Amino acid sequence: MTDCLLSARGIAKSFDQNRVLHGVDFDISAGQVVALLGENGAGKSTFVNILSGALPRDGGTIRWGGEETVFRDTRSALDAGIIHIHQELSLISSLSVMENLFIGDYMTGRSGLIDRKALAARARELLARVGAGHIDPRVEAGSLSTAEQQIVEIAKALARNARLLILDEPTASLTPHEAEALFAIVRDLRAHGVAIIFISHRFDEVFAISDRVVVLRDGRVVGDRPVAETTRAGIIADMTGRAFTFDALETPVIAEDAPVRLKADAIADKGRVGPVSFALRKGEILGIFGLVGAGRTELLELLCGLRPLAGGTITRPDGVVPRSSTEAWRSGLALLPEGRKTNGILPSLSLAENVAVAKRQKSGGVLDLGAEKSLFARFHEALGIVCSGPGQPIRRLSGGNQQKVIFARCLASEPDILFLDEPTHGVDVRTKADIYKQIQDLAKKGMSVVFVSSELPEVLALASTVMVLSRGRQTLLAANRGLTENDVLTAAFAQA
Amino acid sequence: MNAESVVRFVRTRREATVLAMLVLVFIGLTFASEFFLTGRNLSNVARQISVVGIVALGQALVIIAGGIDLSVGSVIGLSAVTAAIVSATTGMPSLGIAGAIGIGMAIGFANGVLITKLRINPFITTLGTLSIARGAALLITNGNPQRFDNWAAFLGYGKIGDIPVQFILLVVLTILVWLFATRTRWGRNVYAVGDNARAARLAGIDVAKTRILVFTVSGSLAGLGGLLLGGMLTNANPNLGLGYELDVIAAVILGGVALSGGRGSIGGVVIGAALIGLLRNAFVLLNVSGYWQTITIGLVVILAVGADSLNRRSEED
Repeated sequence: MTDCLLSARGIAKSFDQNRVLHGVDFDISAGQVVALLGENGAGKSTFVNILSGALPRDGGTIRWGGEETVFRDTRSALDAGIIHIHQELSLISSLSVMENLFIGDYMTGRSGLIDRKALAARARELLARVGAGHIDPRVEAGSLSTAEQQIVEIAKALARNARLLILDEPTASLTPHEAEALFAIVRDLRAHGVAIIFISHRFDEVFAISDRVVVLRDGRVVGDRPVAETTRAGIIADMTGRAFTFDALETPVIAEDAPVRLKADAIADKGRVGPVSFALRKGEILGIFGLVGAGRTELLELLCGLRPLAGGTITRPDGVVPRSSTEAWRSGLALLPEGRKTNGILPSLSLAENVAVAKRQKSGGVLDLGAEKSLFARFHEALGIVCSGPGQPIRRLSGGNQQKVIFARCLASEPDILFLDEPTHGVDVRTKADIYKQIQDLAKKGMSVVFVSSELPEVLALASTVMVLSRGRQTLLAANRGLTENDVLTAAFAQA
Repeated sequence: MNAESVVRFVRTRREATVLAMLVLVFIGLTFASEFFLTGRNLSNVARQISVVGIVALGQALVIIAGGIDLSVGSVIGLSAVTAAIVSATTGMPSLGIAGAIGIGMAIGFANGVLITKLRINPFITTLGTLSIARGAALLITNGNPQRFDNWAAFLGYGKIGDIPVQFILLVVLTILVWLFATRTRWGRNVYAVGDNARAARLAGIDVAKTRILVFTVSGSLAGLGGLLLGGMLTNANPNLGLGYELDVIAAVILGGVALSGGRGSIGGVVIGAALIGLLRNAFVLLNVSGYWQTITIGLVVILAVGADSLNRRSEED
């Protein structure tokens, strides 16, 4: 293509030993809207972060306006006119709208002071261009609604003369009406020659505004077609069809008369998730699938007493319904939270300490440090944790090994029910396989497991029962016999 | 331990740097002043170390748990006058002791509850109670110093053999707090909470109770510190302990406790307190202006922490 605004060839990227992008080719022309689709972890974010200079690439070339370019940082990409609007908005909420619009580039008068009048006038112009003339540029950005903040972000992109705009799930937290207003702006920008990369999980939006659809899977481009030649089913087929072998795994069969460990009856919180109903039996593995934001983590929090129950009932044989994390662990529940770094590890504490932290909740008095070390030694062996010894601070370990340590923490408390939130997120293939095997062995020994995953093949290979959430609602609950990826994805995209 | 690991230990542990400074100052003073190694002077040094050390033990737990307690200096003043007034009005010095520690405990508990239940930042909460406790001390005494020379004061001025009672208390409390921090569930939870409070909560630790506990301990030890300081002077001044929180925090930081929480040893804190006490003594013995002593302590804190973070950075990258 000669009129290509941006042309990427063979973009490769690895994190530690984990290859995330295997040579991605991607073109976009001025005035084109390209939808970038793929499952969670397919490499979409990594790819656009490389385009916007936020991540360095390991290999490949990028031509920008026909010239080979290296964007060493976001600053140089910004100067070229590549603007990446992240899913979490990045306005500074204590500054005014106009200060946000021109941040880093305030117009100063001869006195060296900011000319607030000129700033406000220019801000009004920009806001009018994105159809948001009603927003007063002098109010604090934090006082605006999410949709308004999104629009201010786009106006900010215009202030920087955006030529390529990357929108990462811009509609995730918008109402349909607000989303429609956003699309009107996108169409207007396209008419003015701005190229737009649009990341979304909502197919109807993709079909509504994009010209081309590019599908990523496991870090490779598996589909690149004009939107007129694509279908919903075709995209789903492109997105899945994964080449990961789960042959070694067999989904366990749960006896009909196995005792129920936990029964949820129409449970819900205040608006994020529910109503959800299910019965979890001894030895059962319940896999929960859904898109990001579907309420999966919230459901686990509800079950573990971390989120107040606003409706429905939870029944357990011993009658305990935990109201805090402390009570949950004490009553035989264990949770491996999502977000290893922020919610899982105690970074400067030792490995032994990171494991023992939960086990201690059941004992009192003076601690037996020797016993804690041998507790760690047991899991060190069983899980194959690569480390220099029980005294090593956990932050020195690789992500996969950290995850194994947190997994060991859960097992050390000898729970009846094990809750795992994205247990294989960001870990390499080998560790994944180790974790799968552990989960299955535990279930065979009678532990009940509830796990949340964004990886569909993982859910289908591991779970004895599959639940799907879509926008907080339970859209599927079925035994994992004869379920296809299509069934699950259809439920995940359902507008229930 | 081989030589290499000793070097590594000294390089990476702030308390080792501080211990080296302590030894240097000690040797230096031995040669610089003929009075330094006299029993009288050493017991003075021991007294100077004791109150800072005892209060720093509690402060260390608070900082390891990710908080800070600015109110300790004021609690010292309030508990000293409480001890004097309660023992004078009831005629029972034992009640004076209970009153001093009790008032400290109450303020510490209040700090903890305000921080965890009302979610006020620890810095702001204890800045508030710093002011309130000092005001209360001035109010109940009308600003006048109180006589305090009954047997409860003995804890402050008394000696057993040649050793000041308060130094014995410091040693006993150090062992107790060290056992608490390293060998009890609650003690280890303090580290977990300070290191990553979210992860600690998700692992089933009661974060709020842990925080309330450390503030209560810190308040109680500051209360004891007030009793000792008032007893040592046989005179409870409502302005006692003014600015003491800075020495205490400096001792904790010198002892290798990370201000960001999660890291630090109890032994190190006592070493930090000892260095500060020794420096103060040095200026008296060498007849240098007291103003220089204030500047020097500031320099030492910056030097020790700076050396430590330089070493740490080269370790981590």
